[in-house]
Amino acid sequence: MPEISNLSMLTVIIFVLIPVSLSYLYSLGIAKTTIWSSLRGIIQLILIGYVLTFLFEITDWIAVTLAVLVMISAASWQAGQRGKGIKNAFLVTFTVLAIIEGLVLILWIGFNIIPFESQQVIPMSGMVIGNSMVASALALERLKNDFSVHKGKVLAALSLGATPPKAANIIIRNTIKAAMIPSIDGLKTIGLVQLPGMMTGLIIGGASPIEAIRYQIVISLSIFASVSLTSMFVSAIAYRSFFNKDMQLVEIKEND
Amino acid sequence: MKGNEVILEGKNVGTERVHNMDFTVLKGQIVTIIGPSGSGKSTLINLLNRINDPLEGEILFHGKNVKEYPVPELRKKIGMVFQTANLFTGTVEENLKYGPEIWGEWTPELGKELLRFVQLPEEFLSKDVEDISGGQQQRVSFARTLANDPEVLLMDEATSALDNRTEELVEEELLQLVKEKKITILMITHDLEQARRLGDQTFFIADGRILEQGKTEDLFESPATEELKFFLEVE
Repeated sequence: MPEISNLSMLTVIIFVLIPVSLSYLYSLGIAKTTIWSSLRGIIQLILIGYVLTFLFEITDWIAVTLAVLVMISAASWQAGQRGKGIKNAFLVTFTVLAIIEGLVLILWIGFNIIPFESQQVIPMSGMVIGNSMVASALALERLKNDFSVHKGKVLAALSLGATPPKAANIIIRNTIKAAMIPSIDGLKTIGLVQLPGMMTGLIIGGASPIEAIRYQIVISLSIFASVSLTSMFVSAIAYRSFFNKDMQLVEIKEND
Repeated sequence: MKGNEVILEGKNVGTERVHNMDFTVLKGQIVTIIGPSGSGKSTLINLLNRINDPLEGEILFHGKNVKEYPVPELRKKIGMVFQTANLFTGTVEENLKYGPEIWGEWTPELGKELLRFVQLPEEFLSKDVEDISGGQQQRVSFARTLANDPEVLLMDEATSALDNRTEELVEEELLQLVKEKKITILMITHDLEQARRLGDQTFFIADGRILEQGKTEDLFESPATEELKFFLEVE
Protein backbone atom coordinates (compact mmCIF):
# COMPACT_ATOMS: atom_id res chain seq x y z
CA MET A 1 0.00 0.00 0.00
CA PRO A 2 1.48 3.42 -0.93
CA GLU A 3 2.42 5.53 2.09
CA ILE A 4 0.92 9.01 2.53
CA SER A 5 3.76 11.50 2.92
CA ASN A 6 3.83 14.25 5.57
CA LEU A 7 3.52 16.85 2.83
CA SER A 8 0.34 15.22 1.51
CA MET A 9 -1.07 15.19 5.05
CA LEU A 10 -0.38 18.92 5.29
CA THR A 11 -2.35 19.47 2.07
CA VAL A 12 -5.45 17.91 3.67
CA ILE A 13 -5.07 20.20 6.67
CA ILE A 14 -5.10 23.17 4.25
CA PHE A 15 -8.34 21.74 2.88
CA VAL A 16 -9.86 22.08 6.36
CA LEU A 17 -8.79 25.72 6.49
CA ILE A 18 -11.26 26.57 3.72
CA PRO A 19 -14.45 25.92 5.77
CA VAL A 20 -12.72 27.44 8.80
CA SER A 21 -12.04 30.70 6.92
CA LEU A 22 -15.55 30.71 5.49
CA SER A 23 -17.15 30.20 8.88
CA TYR A 24 -15.01 33.05 10.20
CA LEU A 25 -16.10 35.21 7.26
CA TYR A 26 -19.78 34.50 7.86
CA SER A 27 -19.35 34.85 11.64
CA LEU A 28 -20.77 31.39 12.23
CA GLY A 29 -18.89 31.30 15.50
CA ILE A 30 -17.65 27.78 14.91
CA ALA A 31 -14.15 28.52 13.57
CA LYS A 32 -12.53 27.85 16.95
CA THR A 33 -14.46 24.62 17.49
CA THR A 34 -13.62 23.40 14.01
CA ILE A 35 -9.90 24.02 14.50
CA TRP A 36 -9.97 22.48 17.96
CA SER A 37 -11.94 19.43 16.79
CA SER A 38 -9.62 18.86 13.85
CA LEU A 39 -6.54 19.17 16.04
CA ARG A 40 -8.05 16.90 18.66
CA GLY A 41 -8.98 14.37 16.00
CA ILE A 42 -5.46 14.37 14.56
CA ILE A 43 -3.81 14.02 17.96
CA GLN A 44 -6.22 11.24 19.02
CA LEU A 45 -5.56 9.31 15.82
CA ILE A 46 -1.78 9.67 16.08
CA LEU A 47 -1.90 8.45 19.67
CA ILE A 48 -4.16 5.55 18.72
CA GLY A 49 -1.69 4.69 15.96
CA TYR A 50 1.05 4.25 18.55
CA VAL A 51 -1.24 2.43 20.98
CA LEU A 52 -2.32 -0.01 18.27
CA THR A 53 1.28 -0.56 17.19
CA PHE A 54 2.09 -1.42 20.80
CA LEU A 55 -0.98 -3.66 21.18
CA PHE A 56 -0.24 -5.56 17.97
CA GLU A 57 3.23 -6.36 19.31
CA ILE A 58 2.18 -7.88 22.65
CA THR A 59 0.43 -11.21 23.31
CA ASP A 60 -2.92 -11.32 21.51
CA TRP A 61 -5.18 -12.12 24.43
CA ILE A 62 -3.69 -9.44 26.67
CA ALA A 63 -3.94 -6.90 23.88
CA VAL A 64 -7.53 -7.81 23.05
CA THR A 65 -8.61 -7.79 26.70
CA LEU A 66 -6.98 -4.41 27.32
CA ALA A 67 -8.34 -2.83 24.17
CA VAL A 68 -11.86 -4.20 24.58
CA LEU A 69 -12.03 -3.09 28.24
CA VAL A 70 -10.91 0.43 27.38
CA MET A 71 -13.32 0.63 24.44
CA ILE A 72 -16.29 -0.63 26.46
CA SER A 73 -15.50 1.73 29.34
CA ALA A 74 -15.24 4.76 27.06
CA ALA A 75 -18.41 3.75 25.18
CA SER A 76 -20.34 3.21 28.40
CA TRP A 77 -19.22 6.54 29.78
CA GLN A 78 -20.34 8.28 26.60
CA ALA A 79 -23.72 6.49 26.50
CA GLY A 80 -24.12 7.05 30.24
CA GLN A 81 -23.85 10.79 29.66
CA ARG A 82 -26.91 10.63 27.41
CA GLY A 83 -28.74 8.62 30.03
CA LYS A 84 -27.97 11.07 32.84
CA GLY A 85 -30.54 10.74 35.58
CA ILE A 86 -31.21 7.08 34.83
CA LYS A 87 -29.88 5.05 37.71
CA ASN A 88 -26.63 3.20 36.91
CA ALA A 89 -26.73 4.18 33.23
CA PHE A 90 -22.97 3.59 32.98
CA LEU A 91 -23.09 0.22 34.68
CA VAL A 92 -26.09 -0.93 32.63
CA THR A 93 -24.38 -0.04 29.35
CA PHE A 94 -21.05 -1.50 30.50
CA THR A 95 -22.64 -4.83 31.41
CA VAL A 96 -24.71 -5.04 28.24
CA LEU A 97 -21.77 -4.12 25.99
CA ALA A 98 -19.51 -6.62 27.75
CA ILE A 99 -22.04 -9.43 27.30
CA ILE A 100 -22.59 -8.57 23.66
CA GLU A 101 -18.89 -8.24 22.86
CA GLY A 102 -18.41 -11.60 24.57
CA LEU A 103 -21.09 -13.20 22.41
CA VAL A 104 -19.63 -11.68 19.25
CA LEU A 105 -16.15 -12.94 20.10
CA ILE A 106 -17.44 -16.43 20.80
CA LEU A 107 -19.15 -16.37 17.41
CA TRP A 108 -16.17 -14.99 15.49
CA ILE A 109 -13.48 -17.10 17.12
CA GLY A 110 -15.54 -20.17 17.98
CA PHE A 111 -16.75 -20.62 14.43
CA ASN A 112 -13.37 -19.71 12.93
CA ILE A 113 -14.82 -16.72 11.14
CA ILE A 114 -11.75 -14.64 11.93
CA PRO A 115 -8.50 -15.67 13.58
CA PHE A 116 -7.82 -14.58 17.16
CA GLU A 117 -5.27 -11.91 16.24
CA SER A 118 -5.16 -8.41 17.66
CA GLN A 119 -5.00 -6.90 14.17
CA GLN A 120 -8.36 -8.45 13.32
CA VAL A 121 -10.19 -8.63 16.61
CA ILE A 122 -9.46 -5.13 17.95
CA PRO A 123 -10.61 -3.00 14.99
CA MET A 124 -13.64 -5.21 14.37
CA SER A 125 -14.59 -5.14 18.06
CA GLY A 126 -14.23 -1.38 17.93
CA MET A 127 -16.84 -1.23 15.20
CA VAL A 128 -19.25 -3.45 17.09
CA ILE A 129 -18.77 -1.57 20.39
CA GLY A 130 -18.98 1.85 18.72
CA ASN A 131 -22.28 1.06 17.02
CA SER A 132 -23.69 -0.56 20.15
CA MET A 133 -22.70 2.54 22.10
CA VAL A 134 -24.81 4.68 19.77
CA ALA A 135 -27.73 2.26 20.14
CA SER A 136 -27.42 2.31 23.92
CA ALA A 137 -27.26 6.11 24.03
CA LEU A 138 -30.28 6.34 21.73
CA ALA A 139 -32.23 3.85 23.82
CA LEU A 140 -31.43 5.67 27.09
CA GLU A 141 -32.28 9.07 25.67
CA ARG A 142 -35.45 7.80 24.07
CA LEU A 143 -36.55 6.11 27.29
CA LYS A 144 -36.18 9.37 29.19
CA ASN A 145 -38.02 11.29 26.54
CA ASP A 146 -40.85 8.78 26.12
CA PHE A 147 -41.42 8.35 29.83
CA SER A 148 -41.89 12.10 30.00
CA VAL A 149 -44.01 12.48 26.83
CA HIS A 150 -46.17 9.41 27.47
CA LYS A 151 -46.32 9.77 31.25
CA GLY A 152 -50.14 9.86 31.07
CA LYS A 153 -50.31 6.49 29.33
CA VAL A 154 -47.94 4.88 31.81
CA LEU A 155 -49.99 6.29 34.69
CA ALA A 156 -53.16 5.02 33.04
CA ALA A 157 -51.64 1.55 32.74
CA LEU A 158 -50.48 1.55 36.37
CA SER A 159 -53.92 2.77 37.46
CA LEU A 160 -55.46 -0.21 35.72
CA GLY A 161 -53.34 -2.49 37.86
CA ALA A 162 -50.44 -3.10 35.49
CA THR A 163 -47.08 -3.96 37.02
CA PRO A 164 -44.12 -1.76 35.98
CA PRO A 165 -42.88 -4.22 33.31
CA LYS A 166 -46.32 -4.33 31.71
CA ALA A 167 -46.83 -0.57 31.97
CA ALA A 168 -43.35 0.12 30.58
CA ASN A 169 -43.98 -2.18 27.67
CA ILE A 170 -46.03 0.58 26.03
CA ILE A 171 -42.84 2.62 25.86
CA ILE A 172 -40.11 0.02 25.51
CA ARG A 173 -41.42 -1.33 22.22
CA ASN A 174 -41.00 2.11 20.65
CA THR A 175 -37.64 2.67 22.29
CA ILE A 176 -36.21 -0.51 20.82
CA LYS A 177 -37.64 0.26 17.41
CA ALA A 178 -36.23 3.79 17.44
CA ALA A 179 -32.79 2.61 18.51
CA MET A 180 -32.73 -0.05 15.77
CA ILE A 181 -33.94 2.10 12.89
CA PRO A 182 -30.55 3.66 12.02
CA SER A 183 -28.91 0.24 11.72
CA ILE A 184 -31.83 -1.22 9.74
CA ASP A 185 -31.62 1.72 7.35
CA GLY A 186 -27.86 1.34 7.22
CA LEU A 187 -28.22 -2.32 6.35
CA LYS A 188 -30.72 -1.54 3.59
CA THR A 189 -28.51 0.97 1.79
CA ILE A 190 -25.21 -0.70 2.48
CA GLY A 191 -22.92 -0.43 -0.54
CA LEU A 192 -25.46 1.72 -2.38
CA VAL A 193 -24.99 5.06 -0.68
CA GLN A 194 -21.44 4.64 0.48
CA LEU A 195 -19.00 1.81 0.65
CA PRO A 196 -18.67 0.79 4.27
CA GLY A 197 -15.46 1.91 5.99
CA MET A 198 -14.06 -1.54 6.55
CA MET A 199 -14.53 -2.60 2.96
CA THR A 200 -13.04 0.67 1.75
CA GLY A 201 -10.02 0.09 3.96
CA LEU A 202 -9.48 -3.45 2.74
CA ILE A 203 -9.82 -2.45 -0.90
CA ILE A 204 -7.36 0.44 -0.47
CA GLY A 205 -5.08 -1.99 1.33
CA GLY A 206 -5.05 -4.18 -1.78
CA ALA A 207 -7.62 -6.86 -0.94
CA SER A 208 -9.92 -8.06 -3.71
CA PRO A 209 -13.44 -6.60 -3.55
CA ILE A 210 -14.92 -10.09 -3.06
CA GLU A 211 -12.64 -10.77 -0.11
CA ALA A 212 -13.43 -7.33 1.29
CA ILE A 213 -17.15 -8.01 0.95
CA ARG A 214 -16.88 -11.25 2.94
CA TYR A 215 -15.41 -9.30 5.84
CA GLN A 216 -17.97 -6.60 5.40
CA ILE A 217 -20.83 -9.09 5.59
CA VAL A 218 -19.43 -10.54 8.79
CA ILE A 219 -19.02 -7.15 10.39
CA SER A 220 -22.33 -5.69 9.12
CA LEU A 221 -24.37 -8.60 10.40
CA SER A 222 -22.45 -8.68 13.67
CA ILE A 223 -23.09 -4.96 14.13
CA PHE A 224 -26.76 -5.35 13.29
CA ALA A 225 -27.24 -8.15 15.79
CA SER A 226 -25.26 -6.33 18.47
CA VAL A 227 -27.12 -3.07 18.00
CA SER A 228 -30.48 -4.83 18.19
CA LEU A 229 -29.52 -6.77 21.29
CA THR A 230 -28.02 -3.67 22.92
CA SER A 231 -31.21 -1.65 22.52
CA MET A 232 -33.31 -4.56 23.78
CA PHE A 233 -31.13 -5.33 26.81
CA VAL A 234 -30.51 -1.70 27.76
CA SER A 235 -34.23 -0.84 27.56
CA ALA A 236 -35.21 -4.00 29.40
CA ILE A 237 -32.89 -3.13 32.29
CA ALA A 238 -32.99 0.67 32.36
CA TYR A 239 -36.79 1.09 32.43
CA ARG A 240 -36.70 -0.10 36.04
CA SER A 241 -35.24 3.16 37.25
CA PHE A 242 -38.46 4.92 36.27
CA PHE A 243 -40.41 3.03 38.94
CA ASN A 244 -40.03 2.48 42.66
CA LYS A 245 -40.78 -0.67 44.62
CA ASP A 246 -44.36 0.51 45.23
CA MET A 247 -45.07 0.46 41.49
CA GLN A 248 -45.07 4.24 41.31
CA LEU A 249 -43.60 6.34 38.56
CA VAL A 250 -40.59 8.34 39.73
CA GLU A 251 -39.40 11.63 38.27
CA ILE A 252 -36.07 11.41 36.52
CA LYS A 253 -33.91 14.45 37.22
CA GLU A 254 -31.04 15.28 34.85
CA ASN A 255 -28.72 16.30 37.67
CA ASP A 256 -29.20 13.18 39.76
CA MET B 1 -80.77 4.68 49.37
CA LYS B 2 -77.33 5.59 50.67
CA GLY B 3 -75.44 3.26 52.99
CA ASN B 4 -73.44 4.57 55.93
CA GLU B 5 -70.44 2.32 55.45
CA VAL B 6 -67.16 4.28 55.38
CA ILE B 7 -65.17 3.19 52.35
CA LEU B 8 -62.30 5.69 52.37
CA GLU B 9 -60.83 7.64 55.20
CA GLY B 10 -57.91 10.01 55.51
CA LYS B 11 -56.19 10.73 58.79
CA ASN B 12 -53.88 13.71 59.03
CA VAL B 13 -52.70 13.12 55.44
CA GLY B 14 -49.83 15.29 54.27
CA THR B 15 -47.38 15.57 51.37
CA GLU B 16 -45.14 18.43 50.28
CA ARG B 17 -48.22 20.07 48.77
CA VAL B 18 -51.15 19.11 50.99
CA HIS B 19 -51.41 19.23 54.76
CA ASN B 20 -53.39 17.76 57.65
CA MET B 21 -56.12 16.32 55.50
CA ASP B 22 -58.84 14.46 57.39
CA PHE B 23 -61.73 13.15 55.37
CA THR B 24 -64.38 10.45 55.24
CA VAL B 25 -66.06 9.02 52.16
CA LEU B 26 -69.17 6.89 52.44
CA LYS B 27 -69.82 3.95 50.14
CA GLY B 28 -72.09 4.68 47.21
CA GLN B 29 -71.72 8.44 47.36
CA ILE B 30 -70.50 10.94 44.85
CA VAL B 31 -67.96 13.29 46.37
CA THR B 32 -67.25 16.36 44.29
CA ILE B 33 -63.94 18.08 44.94
CA ILE B 34 -63.71 21.78 44.23
CA GLY B 35 -61.11 24.46 44.80
CA PRO B 36 -58.76 26.84 43.02
CA SER B 37 -56.17 25.54 40.52
CA GLY B 38 -53.04 24.22 42.19
CA SER B 39 -54.75 23.84 45.55
CA GLY B 40 -53.91 20.13 45.86
CA LYS B 41 -57.04 18.41 44.54
CA SER B 42 -55.18 16.08 42.16
CA THR B 43 -52.47 15.51 44.76
CA LEU B 44 -55.16 14.23 47.10
CA ILE B 45 -56.85 11.79 44.74
CA ASN B 46 -53.51 10.47 43.48
CA LEU B 47 -52.85 9.31 47.03
CA LEU B 48 -55.98 7.18 47.15
CA ASN B 49 -54.86 4.62 44.52
CA ARG B 50 -51.19 5.03 45.47
CA ILE B 51 -50.04 6.80 42.34
CA ASN B 52 -48.18 8.68 45.07
CA ASP B 53 -47.87 8.13 48.80
CA PRO B 54 -48.38 10.63 51.62
CA LEU B 55 -45.36 11.67 53.65
CA GLU B 56 -47.44 11.68 56.82
CA GLY B 57 -50.76 10.35 58.02
CA GLU B 58 -52.60 7.38 56.59
CA ILE B 59 -55.36 6.53 54.15
CA LEU B 60 -57.74 3.71 54.96
CA PHE B 61 -59.73 1.71 52.42
CA HIS B 62 -62.38 -0.46 54.07
CA GLY B 63 -60.67 0.35 57.36
CA LYS B 64 -57.29 -0.98 56.24
CA ASN B 65 -54.27 1.15 55.32
CA VAL B 66 -53.98 1.32 51.52
CA LYS B 67 -50.34 0.29 51.90
CA GLU B 68 -51.44 -3.10 53.16
CA TYR B 69 -53.13 -4.03 49.88
CA PRO B 70 -51.14 -5.46 46.99
CA VAL B 71 -50.70 -2.38 44.74
CA PRO B 72 -52.27 -3.80 41.53
CA GLU B 73 -55.27 -5.09 43.47
CA LEU B 74 -55.80 -1.74 45.18
CA ARG B 75 -55.66 0.02 41.80
CA LYS B 76 -58.17 -2.41 40.34
CA LYS B 77 -60.57 -1.62 43.17
CA ILE B 78 -59.91 2.12 43.06
CA GLY B 79 -60.00 3.00 39.37
CA MET B 80 -59.03 6.32 37.86
CA VAL B 81 -60.12 8.34 34.85
CA PHE B 82 -57.91 11.21 33.79
CA GLN B 83 -58.57 14.54 32.14
CA THR B 84 -57.10 13.24 28.89
CA ALA B 85 -58.02 9.84 27.50
CA ASN B 86 -54.44 8.47 27.53
CA LEU B 87 -55.48 5.58 25.31
CA PHE B 88 -52.87 3.02 24.32
CA THR B 89 -51.90 2.59 20.67
CA GLY B 90 -54.15 -0.02 19.07
CA THR B 91 -57.84 -0.76 18.87
CA VAL B 92 -60.65 0.15 21.24
CA GLU B 93 -60.91 -3.52 22.22
CA GLU B 94 -57.22 -3.71 23.07
CA ASN B 95 -57.71 -0.76 25.39
CA LEU B 96 -60.81 -2.16 27.03
CA LYS B 97 -59.23 -5.51 27.76
CA TYR B 98 -55.98 -4.10 29.15
CA GLY B 99 -57.16 -4.25 32.75
CA PRO B 100 -59.38 -7.37 32.67
CA GLU B 101 -56.61 -9.38 30.96
CA ILE B 102 -54.36 -8.77 33.94
CA TRP B 103 -56.97 -10.46 36.11
CA GLY B 104 -58.05 -13.08 33.58
CA GLU B 105 -61.52 -11.58 33.46
CA TRP B 106 -61.81 -10.60 29.81
CA THR B 107 -64.62 -11.85 27.61
CA PRO B 108 -65.66 -10.36 24.26
CA GLU B 109 -69.14 -9.97 25.74
CA LEU B 110 -67.71 -7.62 28.38
CA GLY B 111 -66.33 -5.41 25.62
CA LYS B 112 -69.74 -5.08 24.00
CA GLU B 113 -71.39 -4.44 27.34
CA LEU B 114 -68.92 -1.68 28.19
CA LEU B 115 -69.43 0.04 24.86
CA ARG B 116 -73.18 -0.15 25.27
CA PHE B 117 -72.80 1.42 28.68
CA VAL B 118 -70.87 4.40 27.35
CA GLN B 119 -73.27 4.51 24.39
CA LEU B 120 -70.84 3.70 21.62
CA PRO B 121 -71.70 1.19 18.86
CA GLU B 122 -70.32 -2.35 19.13
CA GLU B 123 -68.41 -1.94 15.86
CA PHE B 124 -66.11 0.42 17.72
CA LEU B 125 -64.36 -2.57 19.28
CA SER B 126 -62.25 -3.08 16.18
CA LYS B 127 -61.64 0.62 15.52
CA ASP B 128 -58.21 2.13 15.90
CA VAL B 129 -58.27 4.66 18.74
CA GLU B 130 -56.68 7.19 16.39
CA ASP B 131 -59.77 7.05 14.19
CA ILE B 132 -62.34 8.17 16.76
CA SER B 133 -63.13 11.66 18.06
CA GLY B 134 -61.77 13.15 21.27
CA GLY B 135 -65.11 12.77 23.06
CA GLN B 136 -65.36 9.15 21.97
CA GLN B 137 -61.79 8.54 23.14
CA GLN B 138 -62.68 9.89 26.56
CA ARG B 139 -65.68 7.58 26.75
CA VAL B 140 -63.47 4.62 25.78
CA SER B 141 -61.09 5.66 28.53
CA PHE B 142 -64.00 5.74 30.97
CA ALA B 143 -65.12 2.29 29.80
CA ARG B 144 -61.54 1.00 30.09
CA THR B 145 -61.49 1.93 33.78
CA LEU B 146 -64.96 0.45 34.35
CA ALA B 147 -63.78 -2.78 32.72
CA ASN B 148 -61.88 -3.50 35.95
CA ASP B 149 -65.18 -3.37 37.86
CA PRO B 150 -63.88 -0.88 40.45
CA GLU B 151 -65.53 -0.13 43.79
CA VAL B 152 -64.29 3.46 43.75
CA LEU B 153 -63.90 5.70 40.74
CA LEU B 154 -61.50 8.65 40.88
CA MET B 155 -62.11 11.26 38.21
CA ASP B 156 -59.62 14.05 37.68
CA GLU B 157 -61.58 16.59 35.65
CA ALA B 158 -62.50 13.69 33.46
CA THR B 159 -65.44 15.44 31.84
CA SER B 160 -63.87 18.87 31.40
CA ALA B 161 -62.76 18.28 27.83
CA LEU B 162 -66.14 16.93 26.70
CA ASP B 163 -68.82 18.78 24.81
CA ASN B 164 -72.08 19.44 26.70
CA ARG B 165 -73.96 16.55 25.14
CA THR B 166 -71.26 13.99 25.96
CA GLU B 167 -70.81 15.44 29.41
CA GLU B 168 -74.52 14.94 30.12
CA LEU B 169 -74.22 11.40 28.86
CA VAL B 170 -71.29 10.60 31.13
CA GLU B 171 -73.09 12.17 34.08
CA GLU B 172 -76.11 9.94 33.47
CA GLU B 173 -73.79 6.95 33.37
CA LEU B 174 -72.15 7.97 36.63
CA LEU B 175 -75.49 8.21 38.39
CA GLN B 176 -76.45 4.85 36.97
CA LEU B 177 -73.22 3.31 38.30
CA VAL B 178 -73.90 4.63 41.77
CA LYS B 179 -77.46 3.40 41.67
CA GLU B 180 -76.86 -0.05 40.20
CA LYS B 181 -73.42 -0.99 41.41
CA LYS B 182 -73.11 1.10 44.58
CA ILE B 183 -69.90 2.46 43.17
CA THR B 184 -68.30 5.36 45.05
CA ILE B 185 -67.10 8.33 43.03
CA LEU B 186 -64.66 11.09 43.86
CA MET B 187 -64.58 13.67 41.14
CA ILE B 188 -62.53 16.81 40.78
CA THR B 189 -64.38 19.41 38.79
CA HIS B 190 -64.01 23.06 37.90
CA ASP B 191 -67.65 23.19 36.94
CA LEU B 192 -69.43 24.28 40.11
CA GLU B 193 -72.84 23.56 38.64
CA GLN B 194 -71.72 20.01 37.98
CA ALA B 195 -70.28 19.72 41.49
CA ARG B 196 -73.61 20.78 42.91
CA ARG B 197 -75.71 18.70 40.52
CA LEU B 198 -73.88 15.42 41.12
CA GLY B 199 -72.40 15.66 44.59
CA ASP B 200 -73.77 14.04 47.71
CA GLN B 201 -70.76 15.38 49.55
CA THR B 202 -68.30 18.07 48.58
CA PHE B 203 -64.72 18.79 49.62
CA PHE B 204 -63.50 22.34 49.25
CA ILE B 205 -59.73 22.41 49.02
CA ALA B 206 -57.60 25.55 49.11
CA ASP B 207 -53.88 26.01 49.75
CA GLY B 208 -53.35 22.30 50.25
CA ARG B 209 -55.99 21.95 52.97
CA ILE B 210 -59.53 20.66 53.05
CA LEU B 211 -61.19 23.81 54.37
CA GLU B 212 -64.73 22.46 54.22
CA GLN B 213 -66.38 19.11 53.72
CA GLY B 214 -69.95 18.05 54.11
CA LYS B 215 -73.25 17.73 52.31
CA THR B 216 -72.96 19.38 48.92
CA GLU B 217 -76.13 21.42 49.42
CA ASP B 218 -74.92 22.74 52.76
CA LEU B 219 -71.59 23.85 51.37
CA PHE B 220 -73.18 25.68 48.47
CA GLU B 221 -76.04 27.16 50.49
CA SER B 222 -74.14 28.25 53.55
CA PRO B 223 -70.37 28.23 53.14
CA ALA B 224 -68.67 28.45 56.52
CA THR B 225 -65.36 29.93 55.48
CA GLU B 226 -64.54 33.23 53.81
CA GLU B 227 -62.43 31.29 51.29
CA LEU B 228 -65.35 29.20 50.06
CA LYS B 229 -67.69 32.21 49.99
CA PHE B 230 -65.14 34.06 47.86
CA PHE B 231 -64.52 31.01 45.65
CA LEU B 232 -68.23 30.48 44.99
CA GLU B 233 -68.63 34.15 44.12
CA VAL B 234 -65.76 34.45 41.66
CA GLU B 235 -66.09 31.08 39.94
